[in-house]
Amino acid sequence: MIQLKDVSYVRLGSPDLEQAGQFATTCLGLQIAERGKKELYLRSDDRAHTLCYSEGDPGQQTVGFEVADEASLQDAAAMLESLGHPVHAGSAHEAEQRKVKAFIGFRDPTGNHIELVVRPERSGRRYFASRDAGITGFSHIGLNSTDPARDERFWTQVCNARVSDRIGDIPLMRVNAIHHTIALVRARKAGIQHINHQVQSNDDVLRSYYFLSERRVPIVFGPGRHPTSGARFLYFKGPDGMVFEYSVGVDEIEDEATHRPRQFGFEPTSFCMWGSKPAGMALPNS
Amino acid sequence: MKAPLNGTKPLITSACYVRHAVSELQASARFASDIFGLQQVADQDGEFAFRSDDRFRTLSLSRDQDDGTSIGIEAWDDAALQEIGEQLSAQGFAARPASADECRRRHVQSALLANDASGNRIDLVTRPTRSGRRYFPPRDAGIVQFQGIGLRSIDHARDLAFWRLLGAEVTDWVGEIAYLRIDDLHHRIALYPSQRNGLLYAAFEVESLDQIMQNSYFMQENQVKIVQGPGRQSASRQIFLHVEGPDGLILSYVNGTAEIGDRPRPPRQFPLNPTSLCNWGSESKDVPELSAQR
Repeated sequence: MIQLKDVSYVRLGSPDLEQAGQFATTCLGLQIAERGKKELYLRSDDRAHTLCYSEGDPGQQTVGFEVADEASLQDAAAMLESLGHPVHAGSAHEAEQRKVKAFIGFRDPTGNHIELVVRPERSGRRYFASRDAGITGFSHIGLNSTDPARDERFWTQVCNARVSDRIGDIPLMRVNAIHHTIALVRARKAGIQHINHQVQSNDDVLRSYYFLSERRVPIVFGPGRHPTSGARFLYFKGPDGMVFEYSVGVDEIEDEATHRPRQFGFEPTSFCMWGSKPAGMALPNS
Repeated sequence: MKAPLNGTKPLITSACYVRHAVSELQASARFASDIFGLQQVADQDGEFAFRSDDRFRTLSLSRDQDDGTSIGIEAWDDAALQEIGEQLSAQGFAARPASADECRRRHVQSALLANDASGNRIDLVTRPTRSGRRYFPPRDAGIVQFQGIGLRSIDHARDLAFWRLLGAEVTDWVGEIAYLRIDDLHHRIALYPSQRNGLLYAAFEVESLDQIMQNSYFMQENQVKIVQGPGRQSASRQIFLHVEGPDGLILSYVNGTAEIGDRPRPPRQFPLNPTSLCNWGSESKDVPELSAQR
């Protein structure tokens, strides 16, 4: 079984690095770690980077997960190959681009581009935000799935993900104590549905709501509260239509051994207990 | 407290009710119960009364414009009432004992009907009636209790003098807006400089941020005007949602008001700007008293 430790980074293609960087710093509040010719590295916590825009098609979307060591990486590669997932062994140059020691790439059953990485770089200097959004770190992703039941099996049986809760047949899955690191979202094709950053407090969620509204950033869902994880949230749209989320207060699963996933009905109150309605963002099942 | 009675007892102990005259009584009553979530309890003397906690009533609405609006402040006892009466009179404030009928209509044992310098009517009362039955609201708005009052003030210095005679203390200033404490909470009464007198809002505490936000979406869905919020006062850390019913009546949901510790501190001055009034960024466009733009 592939032991995922945590989500590590997201890589996104962008036709306009300038615009992507502008949004990331003035709206989202990330710190520019490094500006290359064709790549823009952004920080959100003590890691060297957690988001990278590279010049290219916005359809190029990759999620990196950390595994323990290079031996685990080799085992994972062998297992994925045996299950029929072609594996790309990352070159030294590619690893350098990702600021990791080594990595492999493959596609999940839906076709999402996934990378498993070893020893992603941390930074000696602390994260210093470009605006006071209260970000404490990159935390999870919403991942498109053309068949949530099949993909749940992949993430929970080939990998070590555990289902924390379900809304309809949509699983929210964890790889550590945090309620979820991967939220599957029913969709027609592969892709990242949203990118989550945690913030310090309720105040930050509400402040950003007014801050982003004033700057005409499309708010697509929230401010709201998920009854599943307990998190207070705000979803908004960035460059190339990518949805970003701020949230605070995600529950931790206290007892790994005895936790049973709760089943929530597929209805609006399962996504927001305050009464906010998605606008310009599909609910995961539609 | 600044003017203690025999050393330990304060002169006043709580804000206990709001009586308010409206022109559209039925519509205002529907707003207070069906929309805002107060429990309508009686329809006597042409008044509609509402509960928000274990008190017999905390809001009453009437058509009687002559009787107008008054707010109820609970005094410790009759000795406190007497002392308040003497002090107010000595400082030139109008104050007279309430008649038996006036006390009956207010559901209090005794009362001193006073006016501040702006002409706001303040009822100082003893033994406001409580109810043996628990509060049972018409909808799940999460209201816990009547929390406090915002008052408009046209004679700021004299109105402050009035409240200080009662023993209230300024905890913080936003420009000339004064937050007044009468117990361990940051404020129960807020005085807002204005062109006119009158009630600015009556505030009701809810359980948590969840109810503030749920009520915010409820109001949007029911096309009720949100005057300001959801927001958070910088000085008191109070989370608020001000909503407006018929006749411009503003009722507010609040939560998280800071408590004042035992250690005395001087009032802090905040500038009159949007961030002082709301730390999150909400702004009031239509109610000048709640806005930094006067």
